[in-house]
Amino acid sequence: MRVTDLTLGILTLLGGLAIFWSARNFQVIPGQSYGAGTMPRAVAFVTVLVGLFIIGRALWERRLALGMQLAPWARSGAALGRVAMVLVLIVGYVLVSPVLGFVPTAFAVMTASMLILGTSPLLALATSAVATVAIQQSFGRLLLVPLPRSDFLPFLW
Amino acid sequence: MDTIVAAAALVFQPYVLMVIFGSAAFGMFVGAIPGLTATMATALLVPVTFFMDPVPAIAAIVTATAMAIFAGDIPGTLLRMPGTPASAAYVQDAFALTKKGVPEQALGASLVFSALGGIFGTLVLITSSPVLAEIALKFSSFEYFWLVVLGLSCAVFISPGSPARGLISLFIGLFAATIGLENPAGAPRYTFGSVELMAGVQFIPAMIGLFAVSEVIRGFIHRTDPGKPPKTSGRGIISQQWQNLKRYPKQALRGSVLGTAIGALPGAGADIAAWISYAVSKKFSKTPEKFGEGHVEGLVEAGASNNGAMSGAWIPALVFGIPGDSITAIVIGVLYVKGLNPGPMIFITQPEMIYAVFIVFLLANLIMLPLGWIAIMSARKVLSIPTRVLMPIILMFCIVGSFAMNNSVFGIWIMLVFGVIGFLMEENDIPIAPAILGLVLGPMLEQNFVTSMIKSQGSFIAFFERPIAAGLGIFTIAVWMLPLMLLLLRRRRAGRTDAASAN
Repeated sequence: MRVTDLTLGILTLLGGLAIFWSARNFQVIPGQSYGAGTMPRAVAFVTVLVGLFIIGRALWERRLALGMQLAPWARSGAALGRVAMVLVLIVGYVLVSPVLGFVPTAFAVMTASMLILGTSPLLALATSAVATVAIQQSFGRLLLVPLPRSDFLPFLW
Repeated sequence: MDTIVAAAALVFQPYVLMVIFGSAAFGMFVGAIPGLTATMATALLVPVTFFMDPVPAIAAIVTATAMAIFAGDIPGTLLRMPGTPASAAYVQDAFALTKKGVPEQALGASLVFSALGGIFGTLVLITSSPVLAEIALKFSSFEYFWLVVLGLSCAVFISPGSPARGLISLFIGLFAATIGLENPAGAPRYTFGSVELMAGVQFIPAMIGLFAVSEVIRGFIHRTDPGKPPKTSGRGIISQQWQNLKRYPKQALRGSVLGTAIGALPGAGADIAAWISYAVSKKFSKTPEKFGEGHVEGLVEAGASNNGAMSGAWIPALVFGIPGDSITAIVIGVLYVKGLNPGPMIFITQPEMIYAVFIVFLLANLIMLPLGWIAIMSARKVLSIPTRVLMPIILMFCIVGSFAMNNSVFGIWIMLVFGVIGFLMEENDIPIAPAILGLVLGPMLEQNFVTSMIKSQGSFIAFFERPIAAGLGIFTIAVWMLPLMLLLLRRRRAGRTDAASAN
């Protein structure tokens, strides 16, 4: 997933220009010429310079390729699938835990990730169960973090 | 004296001591697992310390990081997989000793000289920081502006890798720091109507994302479990080091001094210190040809150096509120969350807090010896825990930790976004430390920059009018010139070699 130098330079340049453009309407401190836009503009200015430098160096060294070079892992569908699954599991936790509660959701997320990583089902189930209870008790009971509640295993709360 | 007694009373409480031992064990564990760094140990610990008083919270972080940096040497020595980047510098030598069947020599040298370096760094911290704090009291926005810029510049230009990529990382952090309402005009920036973004990017979930979630994603890609480590006998781990100390006293001292100095430089931390010290050791050694083949000399110097740097990094953090490395950047974020503003005033208003930190540092480096011994002895067991079981548990810790900051799922979203950003950055060889420094120091940079510009009515000359500001400014500009000078030097040397070979 490595972008070429020229692409990185162009992305940096565009990022800098976007920050510059977005900062044009920020308010100033009344009576002063500085304010909310000063810092974003300074950041944008140097970002543009860095972008131009990277582009210039790539052109100078005749490395003109655009786009992305895929790392060996990115050619494997299974590895890409596993990365996608981590992201899906995190998003899934955010969406599902308010409905189902912490205990079943965390248990499901951990078991699923262990299985994805190739842990044996029995070990995955047992470790996830112990870890869920340990995290729930330490954060939920000891540190009083209001983890999403559920009617499942109410004695844990 | 009263202050020291008050500080000791803060530290020597059963609860605080329990926290110290618990976090020491945690740091040892995380550091010993390849792929889990000392910074990650801190990132995972922060949500828990959030619920503690300041002294136990700092004690937990200090102890865990000191242990993690040492423990990183264990998988480095036994499996040639450095547990933390700070151990990577001398992994070749350490592993060569394991191949010779004497891993105890490497592990013992790392342990004892890590502790010595750490204690040396702490003594420098104790003696220098109150003096520096007195000077820092006279600082105005101009000096602070330059100090912040110096810290950010060191993080970009001194760290290994391309400065341009370091700058990209820095500006990602600085841009993230501009989000929210906290700015000189109090105007909402990049909030897109979200009430939660008005408070800015929550620092702790962002850091958990950058350091821990990105690592978890990598763990899901590679699924590599460390192999089975060789047995360690435990004989001579500590006793043999007396001979090493007698043989290499200069190296131990040089490593400690250089490590502490590099750590004290805002923006440069333990990993850079270890690399530089290893190189220095080789350069001045009588037997440089033995380096890389299982020679203890480099281990002594670089081992002392990386733990010295860990203590040294706290000097700018405590005195100026400017972090010396990514770990102290996290600590400063935590201190701000707790309403404690690190900087010279803390030495006047809460000196007992500062002395408590000093005591914690000494304790952490002393208990490193027995706990490190236990860690070495149990290394085989710890290293045989499969990462395919650990990564999912770490992922859940990250989720709960990010949620616990504000008890809102918004923290988890921030963690996710920064986790993906961190992963993409590492894939593109963009270092992460400058981004985290930018995120922490962004508001301070902005405040001091805008204040200075208003005071000087837009004139940049005012930034060089006060003597200390001028000194800091010139030093900062010299750091910017460093890559250019190195390039010229390399070209000149290459030109000379070409000429010599042509002759």
